[in-house]
Parts: sequence; structure tokens; C-alpha cells
Amino acid sequence: MTDQAFSLPIANSIRRLRFEHGEMTQADLAQRIGMTRQTVAAIEAGKYSPSLEAAYRIANVFGRPLDQVFQWVGDGSAKTDGSR
Amino acid sequence: MSFREKSAWITVISVFGCFGAYFGAIALGYINGRGADSLRLLTICAVALVLVQGALHLVAVRTSGSADRAHRDEREEKIIARSHTVGFYTLMVLVLLLGVPGHLGHSTPAMLNFVLLDVVLATLVVALTQIVLFRRGG
Repeated sequence: MTDQAFSLPIANSIRRLRFEHGEMTQADLAQRIGMTRQTVAAIEAGKYSPSLEAAYRIANVFGRPLDQVFQWVGDGSAKTDGSR
Repeated sequence: MSFREKSAWITVISVFGCFGAYFGAIALGYINGRGADSLRLLTICAVALVLVQGALHLVAVRTSGSADRAHRDEREEKIIARSHTVGFYTLMVLVLLLGVPGHLGHSTPAMLNFVLLDVVLATLVVALTQIVLFRRGG
């Protein structure tokens, strides 16, 4: 079973935003939003959909509106910065 | 690998090793599953389980970052909840299957061993489900 089989219908721009914010590491972002680095990695890779609260926390870290960080792309075709 | 995934691996290894030794000894006929020999081996396996889990968790603590151990985040909570749901249904099925050895006329000590085996298998299912979900991302 490949990772693609678990792709969620929500894409995100977290990877790009991290690098635009001083090459912020996943661990730094995780610390700021109160999650583990593994969870940030899973969100970034499109393997896990965060709660609305966590999504807003992430957007707030980057100072962007929610829809600039997460985008609905339809069932089973999620793309992230890392997979584009 | 996160601290909680390591913890799930520790559970799999320690439970499989310790109770594998106990049930293996019964299955291979080294002990007959009842009486003092069985109780002695079961006690040794239970103590070994506690010691092995404690030692391996100490290693896991030392090799994991403090942030990993600090608290469970929402993804970890969901994974743990889902794994316990899978474990619960597994245990329910195994408990229903206890009727088979019951109808075959097994003794009370043998039935107690079957009950213990059910609990051990359900524990392994919980830990293995956690590992799969952690690996899959959630």
C-alpha cells in the first residue's frame, strides 16, 4: 500500500511557508503549535488532517489566512509542497 | 521514531517475548498448564515483562527528545483511541471464541490460560495497530 492511498483531500503549503519563514524546522513549528514533530511531518505530507484549532494555530504562526495554508483539492488527490 | 511508537514496539517485543515463553512452554508440553510449575513460570514471565518493559522504556526515554514525551497531541490521541477500539473488538471476538474450548471440555486451569491468551493477543493487537497507524501518519 503506498502513501498515495492515504492521501487526504486537503493540500497544504506548510513546507513552502516554513522555508519562507527563515527555514523554520518542523520541530520549531511543532513546538509553536504544541504538537510533535512527527505530527507536523504527517500534516505536511498530507497523511493527517489537523483539527480546525490546530489548522488555525499553524496559520497564525505564518501570519496567513487559513485558506492560504490549507486548500481543498477534492477526494484522493491531495498535493503538498513536497509532492508537487 | 516518536517516543510513543517506540513504546508500542516495546509492548510488542516484551509481551510477545514473555508470554510467548509461557504459552510456548505449555504448547510444547514442557509444562502442563496447571499446578505449581505453571504458576511459577507465569510469575517469572510477569515479573520479566515488568522488568523488560521498564528497562526498554528507560532506553526509549534517553533516546527520545523531551518534546516527544511531553504530552500526547491530537494525532497521537486519535491513534491511541483507534487502536483501543480495534483491541476491544478483537477481545470481544476472542472472548466469544472461548466457547470452543469450553465446549470441548477443557479444565478450569486450561480455560484460565485461554482467557490470559485472549488478553495477551488483544494487547498485541492494540500495540500493532498503533505501530501501523503511527507509520501511516495517522
